[in-house]
Amino acid sequence: MSAPAAGSGGAPGRAAAGPPTWAPGETWRIVLSMTLICAAGAAILGGVYLGTERYAEASRQRNERAAVTELLSLGSDATVKEIRQFLSPARDAVIYRTGEAGADAGGNGTAEGAARAPREFVFALDGTLLRSGEIASANAGEKGLHPLGRIFVASRDGAPAGFVVEGEARGYKNRIRFFVALDREWRIAGVRVVEHEEDPGLGAEVATDWFQGQYVGRDLDGAANLDVTKDPMPEDWRDALRRRGTADDPAWTERYGPLRSRESDRPIYAVTGATISSRALTDGVRATILHFRRRWELLEPYLRAAGEGA
Amino acid sequence: MSQTILLPERPPGAVALLLNGIFGENPVFRLALSLCPAVAVTTTVANGIMLGVAVLLVQVLSSVTVALVRRGIHPRVRIPAYTIIIAVWVSAIDMTLAGYFPVLYAQVGLYVKLIVAFAIIISRLEVFASRMPLIPTFWDGLGMGLGFLFALVVIGAFRELLGSGAILGHVVTPEKPLLFFALPAGGFFTIGILMAFFNALERWKRGGKAPTAAGGGAHG
Repeated sequence: MSAPAAGSGGAPGRAAAGPPTWAPGETWRIVLSMTLICAAGAAILGGVYLGTERYAEASRQRNERAAVTELLSLGSDATVKEIRQFLSPARDAVIYRTGEAGADAGGNGTAEGAARAPREFVFALDGTLLRSGEIASANAGEKGLHPLGRIFVASRDGAPAGFVVEGEARGYKNRIRFFVALDREWRIAGVRVVEHEEDPGLGAEVATDWFQGQYVGRDLDGAANLDVTKDPMPEDWRDALRRRGTADDPAWTERYGPLRSRESDRPIYAVTGATISSRALTDGVRATILHFRRRWELLEPYLRAAGEGA
Repeated sequence: MSQTILLPERPPGAVALLLNGIFGENPVFRLALSLCPAVAVTTTVANGIMLGVAVLLVQVLSSVTVALVRRGIHPRVRIPAYTIIIAVWVSAIDMTLAGYFPVLYAQVGLYVKLIVAFAIIISRLEVFASRMPLIPTFWDGLGMGLGFLFALVVIGAFRELLGSGAILGHVVTPEKPLLFFALPAGGFFTIGILMAFFNALERWKRGGKAPTAAGGGAHG
């Protein structure tokens, strides 16, 4: 400010009276003080992040694995293999990778999958295989690839036990990430929203067990024609869904099975006041299943040939 | 600039500082600071304990940090500096909880991030930690944190008992006596009732004279 020009106003720095003046040295001391504090804070946070991220990631994976076995009603003896799907950086090929992303952090029954070297299958968009083979590490060279979600292939005692496919939809506010579980006959075994930012009490209702319970039991044709209605949900069906818990248990099926088959031809009933969120999840589930069916038909023979089949 | 104005030259002892935080200047009942979270979270005892412990940790860590580096903080930018220090510790605790206690984190994760804006923490930094040596600051931070924890547990117990008829999730009465107390408005009534009780306690302790530090107005 005026400090270098004048020099006539006596000593620079703190004036005894009047408005405070800014000596140039003081400005630099403030800048230095704040910079040091920010740098120290950033260093501490960086250290804490490095120390805890491994555990946070491991617990995320445990939760996902628990969700997979729960959605397919599998016990802890089931084997779950993970296949990650990517779009190539030029968006002209789809890449599938097998093997654990963080093999050391795996939970139940992953030893079998981890023992095998990770593999990679690359398809052109028209479905021709461009290349396949082992890769050095499941995490190798993911930079620049666009993730298309993951597929969890479950098997028990060597027999296929279903799939869980990760999908994404554009919700009312932000993306909704969800899992769709398909049993061995390709019927929907469950839908679970794992990440969303919808409004509490409105859009967030799509993440509840009763709303997600509407999808269960629909076959591939039904899934291909999934739609949403704004009609009110019949009272008996609402009551049945609210009593259901996280999955169809035998007692529930015995009592409400007829209702389930009555409703499985009807559209999904939207959450009142949250049609956009309801439609987003429903459209996402439909698209995820249809995409997965096409991709799996393409990929399955190659997986089987490579000894990775379920 | 850093001359003590409100506080005596020789800081009080550890026991006096602890008691001051829990009773004499209890953040919620006496200073009336951080009432929003005190109302929002305390529908049950368990919620009160979890948030209270998190605040206790942040208060002690931030107070000690400020006491250690106070000579390096330029007085003109002390409030932004305090905010950064609080935010660093809140983020560190947030990440640690997410990593090591995922089940707990799923319940309190939302509230932990809010601690950055708690009035009680920054006010203790400004009033006490920026003017006092390390040891008394530690005891003051611990006392204030315990006081906040104590207040949340008392409010939570009051509301859970009257609102849900339970304590720590164990059902005490078959009916819900006064559901009103589980709602936000009931939270304000609870704090009002308890504040009156603590004022009366203070008045009785001083032999009938009105307390001086009562309810300084509701901040944050």
